[in-house]
Amino acid sequence: MSFRTKLLLIFTVTVVSAVTLVAWGVTLYTRRAFEEIDAQRTEALVAQFRQEFKQRGEEVVRRVEGIADTEATLRMAIELSRPQADPSLYVNDALGLANSHQLDFLELVNNDDTLISSAQWPARFGYKEDWTPGEKTGKSQGAFLRREELPDGAALSLTAVRAVPVSGRNLYIVGGQRLDKQFLASLALPAGMRVLLYQNLQPSFTAAALTDAAGPVTQADLIAPIVEETRKKPESLVRVVQWSNDPASAEAFHTMPLMGRKGELLGVLLVGSSRRGMVTLLNFIRSLALLVGGVATVLAIFVSWWVSARVTRPVEQLAGVAREVAAGNWSARAEIRSRDEIGQLAATFNEMTRQLVEQRDRLVQAERVAAWRELARRLAHELKNPLFPLQITVENLQRARAQKPEQFDEIFQESTATLRAELQNLNAIVGRFSDFAKMPAPRLQAVDVNEAVRDAVKLFEPQFSAVGRPSISSELYLDEALPAIQADPDLLRRALQNLVLNSMDAMPAGGTLTIRTRNHSGVVRVEVSDTGSGLTQEECARLFTPYYTTKQHGTGLGLAIVQSVVSDHGGTIAVESQPGLGTTFRIDLPLAPPLPADGHQAS
Amino acid sequence: MRRIVLLFLAGVSLLAALPLHAETRPHYGGALRVELRARVASLDPREWPSDAREAAATEKLAALVFERLVRLDENGRPQPALAIWWQKDAQAKRWEFRLRPGVVFDDGTPLTADAVAAAWRLAHSTGPAATGSGDALVIQSDQSMPDLPAELARGRDFIFRVTADGKLAGTGPFRITEWQPRSRLVLAANENHWAGRPFLDSVMVGLGISPQQQMIDLELGRADVVELAPGQIRRAALTGTRTWSSLPVELLALEFDVNRPAVQDARGREALALAIDRGAIWSVLLQRQGEAATSLLPQWLSGYAFLFRTERDLDLARQLHELLRATGPLVLVYDVADAQARTVADRIAVDAREAGIAVQVSAAGTGAYDVRLVRRRFAVVEPGAALAELASAFGLAEMARLNNPSPEQVYTAERALLETYRVVPLAYVPESCALSARVRNWMPARWGDWRLEDAWLDASAPPAAGGKP
Repeated sequence: MSFRTKLLLIFTVTVVSAVTLVAWGVTLYTRRAFEEIDAQRTEALVAQFRQEFKQRGEEVVRRVEGIADTEATLRMAIELSRPQADPSLYVNDALGLANSHQLDFLELVNNDDTLISSAQWPARFGYKEDWTPGEKTGKSQGAFLRREELPDGAALSLTAVRAVPVSGRNLYIVGGQRLDKQFLASLALPAGMRVLLYQNLQPSFTAAALTDAAGPVTQADLIAPIVEETRKKPESLVRVVQWSNDPASAEAFHTMPLMGRKGELLGVLLVGSSRRGMVTLLNFIRSLALLVGGVATVLAIFVSWWVSARVTRPVEQLAGVAREVAAGNWSARAEIRSRDEIGQLAATFNEMTRQLVEQRDRLVQAERVAAWRELARRLAHELKNPLFPLQITVENLQRARAQKPEQFDEIFQESTATLRAELQNLNAIVGRFSDFAKMPAPRLQAVDVNEAVRDAVKLFEPQFSAVGRPSISSELYLDEALPAIQADPDLLRRALQNLVLNSMDAMPAGGTLTIRTRNHSGVVRVEVSDTGSGLTQEECARLFTPYYTTKQHGTGLGLAIVQSVVSDHGGTIAVESQPGLGTTFRIDLPLAPPLPADGHQAS
Repeated sequence: MRRIVLLFLAGVSLLAALPLHAETRPHYGGALRVELRARVASLDPREWPSDAREAAATEKLAALVFERLVRLDENGRPQPALAIWWQKDAQAKRWEFRLRPGVVFDDGTPLTADAVAAAWRLAHSTGPAATGSGDALVIQSDQSMPDLPAELARGRDFIFRVTADGKLAGTGPFRITEWQPRSRLVLAANENHWAGRPFLDSVMVGLGISPQQQMIDLELGRADVVELAPGQIRRAALTGTRTWSSLPVELLALEFDVNRPAVQDARGREALALAIDRGAIWSVLLQRQGEAATSLLPQWLSGYAFLFRTERDLDLARQLHELLRATGPLVLVYDVADAQARTVADRIAVDAREAGIAVQVSAAGTGAYDVRLVRRRFAVVEPGAALAELASAFGLAEMARLNNPSPEQVYTAERALLETYRVVPLAYVPESCALSARVRNWMPARWGDWRLEDAWLDASAPPAAGGKP
């Protein structure tokens, strides 16, 4: 990935992240603000309900007291206090009193707790009133929540009890107002809020017991978990119900347990607050953030592209100059356009290149001197050997002429033969040096590398098992699927022979010569390994230097010739060696050598 | 001295009684205003209503215009009416009636045996045949009719005549002058009635008037005779209103539909019967009017009703119900037109609940039911016939009509019926009415039949209610 692309990505990710962060922050803040407002509204509604509950209770108390204080009630209490009183005369009175005093429930209860008359369940007369402890108390008692039994089930009632005492006997007036949808409808609710009432009068959750101001609640089963939770632990809690897949249908419910006189849970008030407004606003914020984010991203891409282009152009130029230098154009220099870090980098690069050129020149000079020295040493060494016999032979001739003239002819014949042989030797040495200096240009044709390998090995096979010499075994692992390469077969064979010969020299005590060929990433790889004594790291570094040799005998040109051949074919050669473990030469040859710089292939 | 004092007191009493006697002397004239809850559609005996309460109201009004051959006295025995004499053959299959001479229909046509036979044929397309000859009417059947005179004294066996313009003419003490079906009936005194002209000039009957409105009209002096529900009687009496109640002439009972799985087992029906507190129904809902019923026939009619005492037994009711392992509630229906029925049905549901029996109360006609609350009126006052009629009304076909049964036979038959628990008696209910202060000589039959020909109006009395009875 280019530097410009990276910069582009960094800029884009930064902008998008910033926009996302801002949108998330706004959303979070909005949600919290809504929830806070929601909580305030719910608290207000719960407080309103408590107030309404209290006022209704006071109203019920007033109405029940109104009934208890009437002359008719007092007369009834007097009549019922008589020994032979007939309560059946009043069996229908409760209904009329309830209607006239606007009470939903009214029961007249005798001193012995027998029901005289019931407005809500007239047929229950004569049965004992099911008092909850504490309900029959004094006049200071306020209204309380009560479970009211009805013919078709039970209901919640806000109830007050008053006693009309006559001669030590009480007539109880038990009146109440029903807690139902009418009661809920009387609550003033802000927009988006509603109140549900669950009448906890059954052993388990009953959908029909859940109502709002309009009547039974649809999808009551979604409320069931909240009610069940409150039933298990009668405490206020807040839960969110999503009525459909639409998130805007979500509604937050704040529960308020409604307890009876015994501390039993008689009902649950659920104050619901629609989240539609919040969800709509959040959706708007999200959409806006997406829009802003999209536009900002496009702008960011454009700007970052422009900025990164400006930033990376000098770097790219610098990289181009570096590539030129690496390619050998040591005269290439980076253009310094600014004084910033990039400019300083370009200046430093130019300085470094200059120093590298100087060092290279010095190194070349040093290597050239070293080569000349090596050459001189090698020449001196090579030439010294034939020169010494020449000198001895000439001195013998001189001594024979002076001391043994009769044997001079014979000695002359022998000496001239020796001189001629040594001169030929000198000529051969000079010829080898001349050959290296005049390495021919490769004549390319299709060459089977495996075949070249086999030819090279075959040439030396007799010497592998020569008498008086430790035996060398050869192992060939040749990839028969190798393609043919464009190469000079003679040069290639010569290079391989040099490597085989070098390996043989490296294994004076015998060993194994292993040659492998294979197709390696589009090039043909040839590996020649021996099990000789190996080379040091320093030896490896100088191995291909002309006239360098680690052997007692040799010109030091064998591996130099190999490198020259490989290089002329556009290939590379490397050596791996560890002392004591052997050496491996690795040659990579392209299928076809690259065209020479002048544009035509050598022929 | 003591003797002198007694004589003085007797003289004073005699003097005080003289003007009182003068005030209670019958007066002719005046219009008696009667209000009824029933919406009587027709007085024609050929169009007799099937509903028992409407049939009772129709019978009351029809008896003012039409007469029967026979009437019942206070003891329920047949007495001469349009027939002055009758006899039967040995098998009671042929009855001969001798008609009262000098009787004319209100259109002036003389009453003849042919006319009576014609009326009989119009009203009875099947059953016994009637033939007339001179002043003798013969009613003959293939089956024995031992109680025919008593049967002719109740129900729709009125003697009437269809006039040329299609109207009906009767021989009763009143004749129809205005008839608005289901709304209003105006009767005028029949000047040619064989027993003499009634004291009243006319009778104005309002129909379809609610009990509350009737009481208001009575209080405001707009009505003279109104019906009273049992719950209103004691209240009315406490306020000084004149009231009158008949003998308990209606049986309030539960009738099971034994084809319903829920009540097919007699133990289930018995459980409900044992759970009901009849005393509460009688003392509170019926305000101690009539009697709590444990038998089909009331004591006044059978004489042995006290033998059927059954106490409420919640434990036994609960045990029987638990044996059945019933699942759903019993559906108890009531007649919505019967204001009392709803409260009684509700009370039964409350009592049943105490025994663990779920009862769902609903109005009749809204669907299938397991048990229904019904009223059955005793159309005859002979125990055997009354029981047979009840059995027939309840669909108890196995109850065969007994021929001149003994009280023991009737008792045995009634017990057998009760032990099926297909009908559970609850209470006997009387017929009651309230009277304005100016109504005098109000002397209906004990079982509720009006006798307005003997009533008269005291013009000096205040028109509103509240006078002494």
